[in-house]
Amino acid sequence: MNTLLLSTLLSLAVSGSVMAGDLVKMKGSTQGRVNHEFIYQDGCQTCHQGSGKKNATDAACVECHGDINSITVDESKLAIPEAHPHKSLHYNQGASCLACHGEHEKKAPVCTECHRTWFEVM
Amino acid sequence: MQSRRNFLKLSAGAAVGSLAATLSGTVQANTCGEINWDETVDVIVVGSGFAGLSAALNARRKDVGSVLLLEKMQVIGGNSAINGGWLAIPKNPIQLAQGVNDDSPEELVKDQIISGRGMHNEASLRLIANRALDAYHLCIDTGVKFRDGFNIQVGGHNKARAIRTQHGTGGDITTKLYEAGVKEGVDYRLQHYIEDFIMDGQKIIGVKVRKHYRFPDLKTGSSVFIKANKAVILANGGFARNMALREIVDPSLDPTLDCTNALGATGEVTLTAMAYGALPVHMNLIQTGHWGSPDEGGFGWSNALLSIGWHQGVAINVLNGKRFMDERADRKTCSEAIMKNRNADGSPAYPVVLFNYNNYANDDRVVRALRDKMAWKLDSLDAIATQFDIPVAELSRSIVEYNQHVRERKDPLFNRKMDTAEVLTGPFVVSRIWPKVHYCMGGLKTDLGARVIDGRSMEPIKNLYAIGEVTGGTHGEARLSSTSCLECLAMGIVVAETIKADLQGAV
Ligand SMILES: Cc1cc2nc3c(=O)[nH]c(=O)nc-3n(C[C@H](O)[C@H](O)[C@H](O)COP(=O)(O)OP(=O)(O)OC[C@H]3O[C@@H](n4cnc5c(N)ncnc54)[C@H](O)[C@@H]3O)c2cc1C
Repeated sequence: MNTLLLSTLLSLAVSGSVMAGDLVKMKGSTQGRVNHEFIYQDGCQTCHQGSGKKNATDAACVECHGDINSITVDESKLAIPEAHPHKSLHYNQGASCLACHGEHEKKAPVCTECHRTWFEVM
Repeated sequence: MQSRRNFLKLSAGAAVGSLAATLSGTVQANTCGEINWDETVDVIVVGSGFAGLSAALNARRKDVGSVLLLEKMQVIGGNSAINGGWLAIPKNPIQLAQGVNDDSPEELVKDQIISGRGMHNEASLRLIANRALDAYHLCIDTGVKFRDGFNIQVGGHNKARAIRTQHGTGGDITTKLYEAGVKEGVDYRLQHYIEDFIMDGQKIIGVKVRKHYRFPDLKTGSSVFIKANKAVILANGGFARNMALREIVDPSLDPTLDCTNALGATGEVTLTAMAYGALPVHMNLIQTGHWGSPDEGGFGWSNALLSIGWHQGVAINVLNGKRFMDERADRKTCSEAIMKNRNADGSPAYPVVLFNYNNYANDDRVVRALRDKMAWKLDSLDAIATQFDIPVAELSRSIVEYNQHVRERKDPLFNRKMDTAEVLTGPFVVSRIWPKVHYCMGGLKTDLGARVIDGRSMEPIKNLYAIGEVTGGTHGEARLSSTSCLECLAMGIVVAETIKADLQGAV
């Protein structure tokens, strides 16, 4: 998987204007993230074993990106130190990637259910 | 016979659930009812709030076998993770260090009897109060940090006995219980939605679960059957987010009321238990907090901000610029007064609360509220009138009059206690208010060992237990602040003991 990840990063470097997490049209009417293009070429099986709505778990995210602890967040950009999305006071390790990140849609992170203005829809 | 019974029960169960049409291929009706269990464990815990986390960890510590905790959301913790972090513990070390030596579990029960107004369950309140120190130590042992030297008297308590977590959120407790559970072998699964129970007569033998569920879409994921050899513990919380149910059990609950609860507080497991005979009690007793803001979701900052507003400031009707209530009255009185503020078409005319900015400029509660734009700093009454469309002459007259009452320390209009009121001069902090639904006193009837009672036999449903906000009857008319956290943690200890005892009895 890591080689795949590497090759995507390289292809991104030449593609210019699109940013790593941008949401673009992928397959038919399905939108997806630019850096995940290789997954779509693979037939979506990396995330969905079987049908679309059935299986999508953190396993695929973790395989490429590592677990929540190993993903660095630029702390200088946080509105307040407590609003660290990967070290939440409410959930800490007890959150799925999917609580805040969506692959096919822009999604507001779980904290916006109660709090305002800390994070953009991603 | 055994397998036939399973089949009959299973079909009945499927009809109760919302997925009757999609009975999964794991059920082989043609062999007359063999359930192909996808998995077998000893104890299943439903829900990952204080109650579920405490039960799961304590069940492991009592050595009752494998423990699987199922949570439908994408995060661990439910209401408990977003809660305010207040915990009532009589005889806690901070209280004793403060020199409050005359508290006891019995004193706490006395307070709860008053707020229960005859509808509470005294034996159950006493059982919980007597386990308060155990609940406290459960927190300390798992690494929960409480604020140094912080122990105060909160509404309705006769003693300072409420401690608070370091960051003022229940998440400080849920994250630690979760991490301890991971270390001690609890198997946690997110996105597992309990759809149905599998019964063998009056005994629960497993659950039907929608695995890989994505809230709130019931078409996501797929159904599996998990067998529970020894116990199923319901810790699925309250139902304050279930608008239809809320309205049926208490038609007086205004549909314009938002809710402080986590989105998953929808009560379907409670309803499923009822469909299998579990006795519901006090379903119509639902607590409303009068300290909500329409400018933020859920619980937010408003409650904290208004602890200044109610004492040092004033609440104003935007339609006529006048005060309309004793800002320091109890939850119910204030909620009712606030909800009378309506536009001609019946929509809420959100009242405003204002107080002086200068004395609180650096107060956390103000800094956060302004930052997150659920309150505004405004320099003059004119500016307030413009922003909230209040008749300016009336507003000014009301504030002049109010200031006079403050100086006289007397409120002839609403008889408010004026000892903390300040003369309002501006600049002001201004926020809007509207009550929010907060806590369900009602739920499933359980015995003192947390066994769920079947209303038809008045006997426990075998192997089925329930603790936390899903249960009903404990608090009666009104729950006191900081006592739910205590109840959930303590009953998690109790239920593990009951299961152990029931298992020994069974051998
Ligand atoms: C904002 C707020 C602040 C509060 N502050 C305080 C306070 O400071 N002190 C205090 O004592 N009390 C406080 N309370 C009350 C207290 O937090 C709750 O009563 C308590 O957290 C309930 O805990 P629980 O474990 O019973 O339920 P919850 O913590 O709500 O957990 C129930 C879990 O079950 C899950 N679940 C539900 N249905 C299913 C299903 N079908 N399948 C799988 N899982 C399911 C839910 O998603 C949820 O995660 C507060 C409440 C709120 C909402």
